[in-house]
Amino acid sequence: MPLLKIDDLEIEVKNGTTVLEAALENGIDIPYYCYHPALEIVGSCRMCLVQVEGMPKLQVSCNTFVGEVPPERKVDGNFDMVVQTQNDLVIQERKNILEFLLLNHPLDCPVCDQAGECYLQDYSFKFGNAHSRFDEDKRVRPNEYLGSQIVINHNRCILCSRCTRFTREISGTSELFVDERGYSSKIAALEDRPLNNLLAGNVADICPVGALLSTDYVHKNRIWNLQKKSSVCQDCSVGCNIDAFYQKRKIFRLNPRENQDVNGYFMCDIGRYGFHRFEDLERVTRPLFKSNGIFSEISWDTAIEKIGDKFNGAEEKVAGVLSPFHTNETNFMLGRFIKGIIGTFPHIEDEEITYPSGFRISSDRSPNKRGMHDVCPSIVDDLASEINDKEIRVIYILDNEIDKEIDETWNKILTKMDFIVVQAYAMTRLAKSAHLILPGLAPFEREGTITNDQGRVQWLRSVLPNNGESRPDWEILNLLYKTGERFSDINELMKGMGEQFPSYSGMTFFKLGDQGLPLNGNLKT
Amino acid sequence: MNAFKPVLTEHIHQKDCHTLPFYKSVGGYKALEKVLAMQPDAVIQEVKESNLRGRGGAGFSTGVKWGFIPKDSDQPKYLINNADESEPGTFKDRLLMNKTPHQMLEGMIIASYAINCNTAFIYIRGEFYKEYQLLKKTLAEAYQANLLGQGIFGSDYNLEVVIHRGAGAYICGEETGLIESLEGKRGWPRIKPPFPAIEGYLHCPTVVNNVETLACLPHIINHGADWFKSIGSEKGPGPRLFCVSGTVNNPGVFEEPMGISLKELIFDRAGGIPENKQLKAVFPGGSSSAILTAEEALDVKMDFEDLVEKKSMLGSAGVIVMDETVDMVQACLNIARFYAHESCGQCTPCREGTAWLVKMLTRIVNGQGKPDDIDMLYEITDNIGGRIDFSKGSFGKTICPFGEAVAWPVRSFVEKFENEFRSYIQQVEAVA
Amino acid sequence: MNTMATPQEKFIFANPDKVDRIFSQYPDKKSATLSLLHLAQAQEGYISGSVIDTIADLVECHPAIVMDCVSFYSMFFTKPQGRHKIQVCQTLSCSVNGADALVDHVTNKFSIKPGETTDDRRFTLMKVECLGSCGTAPVVQINNDYHEGLTNERFDELLESLP
Repeated sequence: MPLLKIDDLEIEVKNGTTVLEAALENGIDIPYYCYHPALEIVGSCRMCLVQVEGMPKLQVSCNTFVGEVPPERKVDGNFDMVVQTQNDLVIQERKNILEFLLLNHPLDCPVCDQAGECYLQDYSFKFGNAHSRFDEDKRVRPNEYLGSQIVINHNRCILCSRCTRFTREISGTSELFVDERGYSSKIAALEDRPLNNLLAGNVADICPVGALLSTDYVHKNRIWNLQKKSSVCQDCSVGCNIDAFYQKRKIFRLNPRENQDVNGYFMCDIGRYGFHRFEDLERVTRPLFKSNGIFSEISWDTAIEKIGDKFNGAEEKVAGVLSPFHTNETNFMLGRFIKGIIGTFPHIEDEEITYPSGFRISSDRSPNKRGMHDVCPSIVDDLASEINDKEIRVIYILDNEIDKEIDETWNKILTKMDFIVVQAYAMTRLAKSAHLILPGLAPFEREGTITNDQGRVQWLRSVLPNNGESRPDWEILNLLYKTGERFSDINELMKGMGEQFPSYSGMTFFKLGDQGLPLNGNLKT
Repeated sequence: MNAFKPVLTEHIHQKDCHTLPFYKSVGGYKALEKVLAMQPDAVIQEVKESNLRGRGGAGFSTGVKWGFIPKDSDQPKYLINNADESEPGTFKDRLLMNKTPHQMLEGMIIASYAINCNTAFIYIRGEFYKEYQLLKKTLAEAYQANLLGQGIFGSDYNLEVVIHRGAGAYICGEETGLIESLEGKRGWPRIKPPFPAIEGYLHCPTVVNNVETLACLPHIINHGADWFKSIGSEKGPGPRLFCVSGTVNNPGVFEEPMGISLKELIFDRAGGIPENKQLKAVFPGGSSSAILTAEEALDVKMDFEDLVEKKSMLGSAGVIVMDETVDMVQACLNIARFYAHESCGQCTPCREGTAWLVKMLTRIVNGQGKPDDIDMLYEITDNIGGRIDFSKGSFGKTICPFGEAVAWPVRSFVEKFENEFRSYIQQVEAVA
Repeated sequence: MNTMATPQEKFIFANPDKVDRIFSQYPDKKSATLSLLHLAQAQEGYISGSVIDTIADLVECHPAIVMDCVSFYSMFFTKPQGRHKIQVCQTLSCSVNGADALVDHVTNKFSIKPGETTDDRRFTLMKVECLGSCGTAPVVQINNDYHEGLTNERFDELLESLP
C-alpha cells in the first residue's frame, strides 16, 4: 500500500485514494467546497490546494491520487507522496481564494440562514483575511425561486456547482444548470421546468453557503437555538437515517444523516417535510372512556381494569390490529396479548421511485411492515373476513399513521363491535369510533426499533418529550399483563423478543448504534 | 540574410492553390502514400525525432503527445484538429485553411494514422464561416479521390473526417474545453488527471493538434526529421508562421525559421511602424504572453527558449506591436476585458479575479484610481495565475492555463509601465 | 430563474435530411448539439424555447442541459436580433487600428449603442472579441461575413448597401 506523508502524519492509504480523502479520514482539516463524496470530482473551487513535493504547481487535493511509485522516485527513499497542507505558501493561497470567493458575497451573516453552519464562515474564520480589499461595486441580483421548495440567493452563491451536479447525477432530473459564463454565471432552472423533484430538498443541504435555502425553514430559526437528535425517518420502508433539529417541543427541520447501507447521504422530500403533519394535532393525553356518546377522562387503573374485564371475558373471541407504523416492541407486545386473531388494516401502497444514483423511495409508505411481520408471525391475511366469520366483538387497535379514512368494510365491522380499544395519540376518526382510548405517543416521541424492507434493524430514537399523561405504546400494552408477567423495561422486552425470534436475539440499542444492523445473525452475541 | 524559402506557405499566392488538383500538382499527398506503407509507430518515431513542437500555444512535443495514446486499449481513438484560432494577435491558421486546406488535411490523415484513429474532427471556430464552407468542399474533394473514407490509397486504413463548428468561446481552444464542447456541452475545461490521451472525447484516448502543427507533418515525412531539425533553433525547430499586427505598416503572416529576431520580424518583414513612430511594447506570443518593452523586444529571438529567458513566451507566435501612441493602461484594460469576457467561470480565481481586474482598470482609466491600486493589481494577478517563475510553486491555481494567460500579460503591463498607471492615479490626486 | 417564455409552437427543422446527416457524423447523440443549434439559429434567427425543447428531444437530454450549453456560447442568441448583426472586433489589434471609430459611426448614424437594435430591426450593433484576422484590422463581421481593413468610408458604404 502506498505510503503518504501529510504534514507530520505518515499513513498507509489504499491505492487510488485522493489526498483529500486521506486527510479527512485522518483528521487533517483541508478546506473544500465543490468536493462531495457522492458527486463527481470537479476541482473547481480551488480551496483544497496543497503543495505536493516534486510538483511545481499547487495541486487540488480532491483530484490528486496517491499511488505506488517506483523506488527511485520515492521521496526520502520512503514515501510515495509528500504533501504540505499547512505551510506558508498553502495558507497564503487559501486566503487568496477566500478573498476571491468573498468578493461579491454580501455581509449577510446576521440575516443568513446558513450562519452557524456555513463553510464560508468557518473557513474565513480559520484561514481567511480579516478584511476584503475589494473596493468596486458588487454584483447584485435578486433572489429567485428555483422550485417551490428551494429559493436561491444569487449573491451568496460561490458557483461550486454541487447543486447542478446533484440534479444530474443523483436525482437524474437535471433541472439546474449554469446560465451564461464567466463573471455572469449563475445557477438557474428553466421557467417551465422548475426544481420540483422529490429529492429537491437535498440541494439546500449540500449547498455549502447560504445560497440555496429551503423555503420550509427559511428565517424560522438559528442553528444555535436548535438541538439535534439522530433518528430514522418513518415515512416509508427504506428508513433513511435522519437528524432532527428541534427546540423545546417543536421540530424545525429534518436533515439526512449518512448511512451507506440505507440512504447514502440523502433523503426525500416526503420524509423531509413530513413532520409538519404532526404539528397542531388535537392530542389525546389522558385515557378516555365513552359513555352516552361522550368521552370523559378516566384513570389508567380504571382503563386497564375495563380492558382486563372485556378481554378476559371474551377469551379467544378477540382481535388485535397491529400497525406497520409502530415499533417492533409495540407490535410484539400486542401480538402476545391477543389470544384471538391478529392482523392489520389494508395496506396502503404508493409509487415506488428509484433514482439513477440508486436512491429509493419505497412504495410501502410505512416504516416497519417487515419488523411487524417478523415479531408477529401469526398475522392473518384478511383480518376483516376472519372477524366476520368468527363473529368477534372485542377489538384492540393500534392507531395507524395519521388520520386516514376508514374504508366501507371496516366501518361496518366497527359498528358491530361491542368493545373497541384504540391506542392513539390524536383524536382521529378511528379514535372517535372507540369505546376506550389509551393515549400513546406521536411518531417523533416514540422510541424503539424498526426494521426496514432490506432487513435492517435501526434504532428509532425519540426526538420530542412525552405529552401529558401519554405513555410509550409498549409500556401501555405492558400494563395489560399481570404484574408478574410484565417486562421491567424496554431492554428486558427486547431480550424477551429475541428469545422468541432468533434473528432478533442479542439486540440492544447500544449494539444498533446510529447505523443499525442487518438481520441474519449479526445481532447474536 | 537569404530569404527563407517558405515551406507551409510556399504556394499561397497562386491561383486555385486551395484545390486538390493544384495541391497534387505540387507533390501533395505523396507523404500520405509514404506513411501508409509505414508502421504507425514508425511515424510517431519520425515526428518525435523531428522535435516538432505544437504551434497552438503550449509548444508541447507532438511526437511525445502521440506516444501517450495507449496501444493496448481497444477503445476508439480520436484526433481533433484544433482550428479554434481565437488568441488575439493570431491569424495564421485561417490563412492555412483558406489557402492550403489540403496540406492541413494531409497532416490530419497522417496524424490519425499514427495514433490508429478512424474518426477525426476539425473543430473550427464558429465565426470562420467562409473557411467552414471551404473545408466542406475540401473534404468532398478528398472523399471523391479516395483520400478519405474506406481503404485510403488502396490500403486497409479508413478515416472519416467530420467538421464541427464552435460557437464563440475562446476557452474552447483549450484542449479539454474543446473536447467538452465537441461532446455537446459548455466548454468548461476538465481537471487533469485524467489526461486526454487516456480519457478524452467520450472517455476515449484523444489527441488534439493545432492546424499549423498538422500542416508541418507532410513535410517532415517527405524530407525527414533531420531536415526539419535543421531549420531554426534545434530545441524547437522548423518553419514557423509568425503573425504580426497592431501598429505596423505591413501586418500579415510571415513564414520564417524558428529563431528569427523579433526586430527583423517587425522592422523588416512587417515594414516597421507607421510614420516612423517609436516602438513602445510588443506581445511576442499572442495576448497570453507577457509584453516586452521596446528594449527587450529589440534584443530577442523568436523561439521557445529565448523568450522564456526574457520571462515571456513564444505561445501562438502572434506578435502585436504597440507604438508610442498606444496608451498602456488602455491596452491593459483592453486585454483584461478580453479575458473577463472569455473566462468560462468554472473556477474561483479566474471567474472573480478577471472581473476584479476589469473593474479596477476601468476605474483607473476613468480617472478614479487610488494609490493602492498598483499593488492590488500585482496581488490580484499573482493570485489568479502566479508568476512566470518555475522555481516557485506559486501557480496552478486554476484548472486550465487561462489563469496564467490573464495574469502574465496584465502583470507585465503594470510592471513595465508602472509610471503610466501612476500618472493616471496621480491625476486624481492632483485634482483632489 | 431563466426567463425563457413558455414555448408556444413546436419548432420543427425545415430540413430533416440535414439533421440526419448531422447525427450520422458523431458517435453519440449529444455531440450533435452545437451543430443542431447552428442549424436551428440559421432557420429561426435565434434560439427560442421551442428550439431548445426540440433539440433536447433529439439528443435525448433534459432541456436545461441544452440551455446550459446555449447560454455559454456568444454566437447563440436567445432573443431575436436585427437582420444584420454588425459585430465589431474590439480586441487590441483592431482597437489600435480604429475599431472604436467604426462603433461610433454606427452609433452616430443609426442611434444604437452596442447591444441595441434599430427600431426597424435592420441592424444590431455588437462589440465582439478577437475575430482571428488581426492582420487586416479593423475587422467587422456582419452575420457570417468578414469585412476586413475597413475605413469609415468603406464601412459606411457597406452599411448603406445592406437592406
